[in-house]
Amino acid sequence: MTLHNNEDGDQKTSKDQYGAFDYRPHIKLKDDHTSRPLWIAANGHIFLESFSPVYKHAKDFLITIAEPVCRPEHIHEYKLTAYSLYAAVSVGLQTHDIIEYLTRLCKTSLPPGICEFIQNCTLSYGKVKLVLKKNRYYVESDFPDVIQKLVKEPRIQECMISPSEGVVSTEKQKSRDIMFTSHQAQMAGSTEDPANAQKPESEQANGETKDKDKDAVPEDITSFYDKVEEEEEEEGNMKTLSFEVNQDKIETLQKTCIVLDFPLLAEYDFKNDTINEDIKIDLKPSAVLRPYQEKSLRKMFGNGRARSGIIVLPCGAGKSLVGVTACCTVNKKALVLCNSGVSVEQWKQQFKMWSTATDDMICRFTSDAKDKPFNAGILVTTYAMISHNQKRAYEAEQTMNWLKEQEWGIMVLDEVHTIPAKMFRRVLTIVQAHCKLGLTATLVREDDKIADLNFLIGPKLYEANWLELQKEGFIAKVQCAEVWCPMTPEFYREYLMGKVSDQKIKLLCAMNPNKFRTCEFLIKYHENRSDKIIVFIDEVFALIHYAKTMQKPYICGKTGQKERMTIIQNFKLNPKVNTIFFSRVADTSFDIPEANVLIEISSQGGSRRQEAQRLGRILRAKKGAIAENFNAFFYALLSQDSREMGYSRKRQSFLINQGYAYQVITPAQMVGMDEEQLHYSTKEEKVHLLEQILAASEADMYEEGVLGERGAGSQRKAGNISSLSGADDSIYGEKRKGSKKDHQHYLFKKFRS
Amino acid sequence: MVNVMKGILIKCDPVMKQFLLHLDETMKLGSKFVLVDLDECHLFVQPEVYNSLKNLIDEQYEKVYYNQKSSLE
Repeated sequence: MTLHNNEDGDQKTSKDQYGAFDYRPHIKLKDDHTSRPLWIAANGHIFLESFSPVYKHAKDFLITIAEPVCRPEHIHEYKLTAYSLYAAVSVGLQTHDIIEYLTRLCKTSLPPGICEFIQNCTLSYGKVKLVLKKNRYYVESDFPDVIQKLVKEPRIQECMISPSEGVVSTEKQKSRDIMFTSHQAQMAGSTEDPANAQKPESEQANGETKDKDKDAVPEDITSFYDKVEEEEEEEGNMKTLSFEVNQDKIETLQKTCIVLDFPLLAEYDFKNDTINEDIKIDLKPSAVLRPYQEKSLRKMFGNGRARSGIIVLPCGAGKSLVGVTACCTVNKKALVLCNSGVSVEQWKQQFKMWSTATDDMICRFTSDAKDKPFNAGILVTTYAMISHNQKRAYEAEQTMNWLKEQEWGIMVLDEVHTIPAKMFRRVLTIVQAHCKLGLTATLVREDDKIADLNFLIGPKLYEANWLELQKEGFIAKVQCAEVWCPMTPEFYREYLMGKVSDQKIKLLCAMNPNKFRTCEFLIKYHENRSDKIIVFIDEVFALIHYAKTMQKPYICGKTGQKERMTIIQNFKLNPKVNTIFFSRVADTSFDIPEANVLIEISSQGGSRRQEAQRLGRILRAKKGAIAENFNAFFYALLSQDSREMGYSRKRQSFLINQGYAYQVITPAQMVGMDEEQLHYSTKEEKVHLLEQILAASEADMYEEGVLGERGAGSQRKAGNISSLSGADDSIYGEKRKGSKKDHQHYLFKKFRS
Repeated sequence: MVNVMKGILIKCDPVMKQFLLHLDETMKLGSKFVLVDLDECHLFVQPEVYNSLKNLIDEQYEKVYYNQKSSLE
């Protein structure tokens, strides 16, 4: 199902010379439009005024039914898509509620096509559920006609265990609202789970704000909001129809259902699962969930069952705590998958920090650390370790066998955007898990691979607004700057000649002496302020050169696990080590909370995801910082007049859509740069550097290619997986058309000629 | 004997000068057009090339800043 109806709508509307749509013939402005917060365009884009008094309600609602496109300060843009509506249905919203509420929030009448689109997408979605009860799979539905239709389908009959029995109708034992409150009461009873204990409170708070807002808001908006909530509760009394299906045929079943336009929702009734033992872990009293973490978890455990899906939180906003809490709530055997050995260690730390899990309950399974799994309730491992298909050591083989036999209650997938669908399918064939929780910061979703995730894991359950978290001090307030370093004439000459390989062109941009000097200056400046600095360079040749010239430690793919840990420990604790150079191995999942300055020397093309992930390294909230001031700095160093300029535009688009603004600085604006003793001040030195680059032998380049691109070894998975998935390039490839068109806007053309 | 040549003086940053020299060397305009390479920031060139130079610079700008495809080659 696509946006066809909507696009048709587009064609009908006339455009003016600037490309703006004229919707006047199709929609009518309401008289009280000033108090309503939404504009809805016929192409499914929704614009929300963030200064409106009903902003809060509208935001919560929109985030459920639409995907955020761009969220700067005043006007937020969302887009209705089939997937977002699918997600909305899966958290319990009904088609007529969505349309009704949109109508009320909108400043105008709903544009033609929008209603049909919502109906088309939602009526079929989420009506059928795949439920695991006592280790048996059931297909369940509240809608008799839908289930009758499914049962008549021959391919589905094959999947049924006893087709003769047909459909079983059961009264729901507890109505939905009771289940939810009992869930709450239970949780609140065990005071060790402050997450859930807080729920009623925050609900009260919601109620209060509602009351306050009421005066300013047209009555129907708030009253309807309440009505929606009531309806959700009534629903519980309906009859549920179900039939049992064969576990081996789940995949066929799912495919058939998708063909029939009734995708299966997977839910796990973990409370009534008596077969799998509880692992008896709980959150520590010290673990306090932040409001957005709680909200995201509430989406996951909304009706007392665990729902599979993806939670999107910015890097550094405490994704691990969400993961740990989810594991504690389900309280069954948990499997955590991440993408490097370092993050395996970090997950173990997180479990020990936030939950009552002890060392012997957490089992690590990596190439370096293999704990005995047999008593463990939590297994932490890497994607590569599980999907590895060559011969393993005896010990590893044993662990794998054990792993295959287990019924996992929950599977947490860290940095879920990095796994290509193929690898994930492999993981799914090996591991049996009742529910899956994907965690990521950058679910950039234009390319098909992300759509696959939607199907393989589940819909996006929650997505946080970066700027709001920043305002509330949950993540660092980052000043982003782009430093434009002019190329030196000698370097630019080589660059233009184009006689050298692509690798060398990259080196020329990365090792531009002016860039080197700027970088050195920034490091000195921030070290004097006793900041902690991390520098990213993709090209290993340049990385080593920079680090050695400045006498700083560096970590690249070749660096062993132990050495990495030593360097990172030193960086954390030793006041003399304030700067580390990283290659792209540290892009994701390297938790370096101390770092507050990031300098990016070079990068991988126009990858938006890489930029966001790197920014994430410094996003963790800084201790003792005042939320109003900038407390973290992100410098992207660009060689002016080179292709890096074009890349940067693409790279930044994701963060700009999250509301970040980049400031442009030139080295000339940096006060005091001339007085510092920096390298490469004379022409001779610069020319010498150029010679070094040009003389970099094939051997050097070869080695570099191996490190940067491919190569075996489990330590380098961060880089490997993302480049293997190929998503980076295709992501900005998708963007290409759009952004070019944007920049060639009629007005700008006019000014430039 | 005195040679008189009509030309235009181009003042630019060192990087742009390199670009112009590059155009000159690779005969992008069909022939050489730089008359005298004065210093880091100044070039003396034939007056006819003014318009085509302007276009080429625009093109380069476009290529570097917006059109990733051509710079990826």
